Amino acid sequence: MAMKNIIIKLSTSLLVAASILTTGCAQIALNQPKASIDNTQKARSANLAPAAVGKFVVDPTKSADLDTSISLRGSNKAISPVNGSFAQYLQATLTEELKTAGLLDPNSGAVISGFLTQSSVESFGTGKGVLGARFVVTRGGATRFDKELVATSTWETSFVAGIAVPAAANEYEGLYRKLIGILLDDADFKKALAR
Amino acid sequence: MQLIQNRSRLNIRALLNAGLVVATVVLTGCVSPTFYVDTATREVPVAELKKPAQPKAVQLLFDFQTKGAPNSRAVSFLKDQVVDQVKGSGLFATVDEKPVPGGAVLNVTINNIPEADAAAKGFKVGLTFGASGTKVTDNYVCTVTYLPPDGGKSIVKVSQHAIHTTIGATEVPQNVNKAESVEVAVRTMTRQIIGTALKDLSLDPTFP
Repeated sequence: MAMKNIIIKLSTSLLVAASILTTGCAQIALNQPKASIDNTQKARSANLAPAAVGKFVVDPTKSADLDTSISLRGSNKAISPVNGSFAQYLQATLTEELKTAGLLDPNSGAVISGFLTQSSVESFGTGKGVLGARFVVTRGGATRFDKELVATSTWETSFVAGIAVPAAANEYEGLYRKLIGILLDDADFKKALAR
Repeated sequence: MQLIQNRSRLNIRALLNAGLVVATVVLTGCVSPTFYVDTATREVPVAELKKPAQPKAVQLLFDFQTKGAPNSRAVSFLKDQVVDQVKGSGLFATVDEKPVPGGAVLNVTINNIPEADAAAKGFKVGLTFGASGTKVTDNYVCTVTYLPPDGGKSIVKVSQHAIHTTIGATEVPQNVNKAESVEVAVRTMTRQIIGTALKDLSLDPTFP
């Protein structure tokens, strides 16, 4: 019985120590945007016209903070490596995807622009990430597509911040490619950019 | 406030779910893990690959995932090794991370599928200071997708591998090679699993 109490007290002490050791604050820069094979295949099979990528900014009805940082857990934050802007990170992700698919043409009359509308991460218990943007496609100056699309992700989180925070950053980063995938799947988008 | 510019600098142990076991053990006790690379998937010498008569230029995309979610630290840690391996395979005229003329793409994705209760096992071992040993297995699935130039039909090859981690007093797993460290285990697994998939790709009659 005495041994059991010692183990319980020791365990409690170690868990407290672990909690202290594993909490802190850090800023994690997302990795540079890159293309994904899923989106490359989607784009190539969609029979889309080559397009230019226009401006991507935070939705004017939202707080400017939405564009600059996101809390992963407590004071641990993720930041964008593209001019410190998540809207521009989305723009760069779309650019990479179209480039790899052979569908990027800066001189095209078809232009895809966007507004960042949602960006959030919860990383206690079941983690949840949300990324939303309103995409606009114009051809010859006329709007052909204007729709908000949202990508979400859920995952199991760890109580250890040193594991949970990088995992949340990875999940959040993955939402950008996922959102572009949703855009490429959208029937109205494909119609607006059809050859 | 600490700015982490390059997440590859973080502990390589976090690449593995075994890292979760290691982390919990370290937090709860002083027991060293031992890493073993499964022998079911072996080294594939470049000589075993069938070289195409007219190799094509290719854009290489590499992704490492944990349970399907992106693991950018692992990508940063392994990318140079993967690029060197694909270049050294002799299957392609050039290998570039940017789009190439003709638009051929080679995508390599390694997905780590760890045991579900790895963290709990780590706590158990740590709290007993190693008297209660355990073994956890990280399974890996490598998917190589090749998109030929000019919109040809894609070729997909899949290979599998595993790394076993023992902690505390437990038996050595069967059919394994002990690795000097977790870094050696991960790099060996990566080289062997990609080598296997590349060999299958090279033998596909529709390649390149």
